[in-house]
Amino acid sequence: MPNVIVTTRDGAERTLAADPGLSLMEAIRDAGLDELLALCGGCCSCATCHVKIDPAFIGLLPPISEDENDLLDSSEHRDETSRLSCQISMAAELDGLRVAIAPED
Amino acid sequence: METAVKIQEYDDPSYDPFSADDVNFGDTLDPYPEIAKWRAQAPVLEGDYRPRMGLQSAMYPDRKMFTVVGSDEILTALTDTDRFSNHGYKFNIGETFGQGSISVMDNPEHGRWRKIFQKIFLPQYVKTWGDTIVDPVVHDLMDRFVSTGRADLIEQFTLLYPFEVIYRQLQLPEADVGTFQRLAIGQTDYMHADKAQEASRKLGAYFTALVEERRRNPGADLVSLLANTEVDGDYLPELVLISFLRQLMNAAGDTTYRGTSILLTALLENPDQFDAIRADRKLIPVAIEEALRWDGPVAVQLRMAKEDVVLGGVEIPAGSLLDVVAGAANRDPAIFPDPDRFDIFRERKAHFSFSRGPHICVGQHLARVEMTRALHAVMDNLPNLRFDPDKPRPEIRGSMMRVPRHLYVRFGD
Repeated sequence: MPNVIVTTRDGAERTLAADPGLSLMEAIRDAGLDELLALCGGCCSCATCHVKIDPAFIGLLPPISEDENDLLDSSEHRDETSRLSCQISMAAELDGLRVAIAPED
Repeated sequence: METAVKIQEYDDPSYDPFSADDVNFGDTLDPYPEIAKWRAQAPVLEGDYRPRMGLQSAMYPDRKMFTVVGSDEILTALTDTDRFSNHGYKFNIGETFGQGSISVMDNPEHGRWRKIFQKIFLPQYVKTWGDTIVDPVVHDLMDRFVSTGRADLIEQFTLLYPFEVIYRQLQLPEADVGTFQRLAIGQTDYMHADKAQEASRKLGAYFTALVEERRRNPGADLVSLLANTEVDGDYLPELVLISFLRQLMNAAGDTTYRGTSILLTALLENPDQFDAIRADRKLIPVAIEEALRWDGPVAVQLRMAKEDVVLGGVEIPAGSLLDVVAGAANRDPAIFPDPDRFDIFRERKAHFSFSRGPHICVGQHLARVEMTRALHAVMDNLPNLRFDPDKPRPEIRGSMMRVPRHLYVRFGD
């Protein structure tokens, strides 16, 4: 299973094993990190699963859809590393992925 | 702006859609102790919510009903879309707003249309309406009573401003507004189903004509925007468009009126917290979230079991309807310690008042902008605001939808 290293809002790092096929949001949520709210449950309908991706991994991710882009624009904390974690499917090549949970809007 | 078809009154113009609120949504003063008792019994109870609260059961087809009050089970019912459907709303919302309402749909159909409406109501867009629409509406209304030193903040303010915001967004002709509001409110008078149907029919005819007119003569308003939105080279389906417009008054007007009324009531009942906000307006967002948690306007959502499921240890046959009591999760002491206390300083956790899952409120960001502007205006214009000592204190009532009917205040000297 690919490992993901998550930095929480207090700066703590946590390594978790993600089932391939789950979304990154689901992997983080299932590990009990409840500061990632993901209020809509993972269908690109809110922006509460916002994470910042380590630039080294951005090229491995699927492109941002128009809907995800609009939702990310609603965050005051968006930058070029921002993604909605519900839109990233975990796969073997993402092993070692480093992400940080974005500040709350 | 002229419309080809004039708005039509009810056949019986003496019908009062506003007086039907109690039989539809209840007048219970405090439903939460009762809900806490149920939660102590079981997370899922057999039978529907309404009769437990002394209301007539909704008129659904014969099938089993359940009431969900455990927080985990509430979250499951709202987010596990493999097992729980929104099709239960076809029996009420769908009948009046129209079966094109996204509230009656499941994904992927739901998502296809939702994303169009969702985009319009994203924070980056609605915040610009704070200056252009919400502030002028709020200040116009407040100017009418600001010099009198006393007011009923419900009748003179909160019951009016979210609807005025919608009229301006839609650019409705001034002469149509009174009848329009009567029809819009009557659509949810499910206990007088003939009136709800009549309202739906007449509002549908009106919006159909308005859409045609705004396709010929588009303006900068929301009807023009939606009427001319294209998906895959075609207009939005008529059913989806008209259903959305029918639902807008209820979804964006009625809820915000209730939420703002509860916010102001809670702050006047807790003057120390109100003073803290006056001293530091950066506390407004947490105050709004706490008011929504403490007594959210919409207490219950409806879901239908797609298949035979076990929820909270209870076997639920396929097709059963579930009253999902979001208000129960908001008062769950395991999530919110001392949950009945209104406390803007409590540890912030996400509430359930905009629901959860794919149907999470599309208009939540606009609601927050409206409540924020309303609260700023109250603090700017009504110094020394306090309950009117000569009038009854407000009572937040209702078991389905909650609101105080009056909020009598004094202000100034």
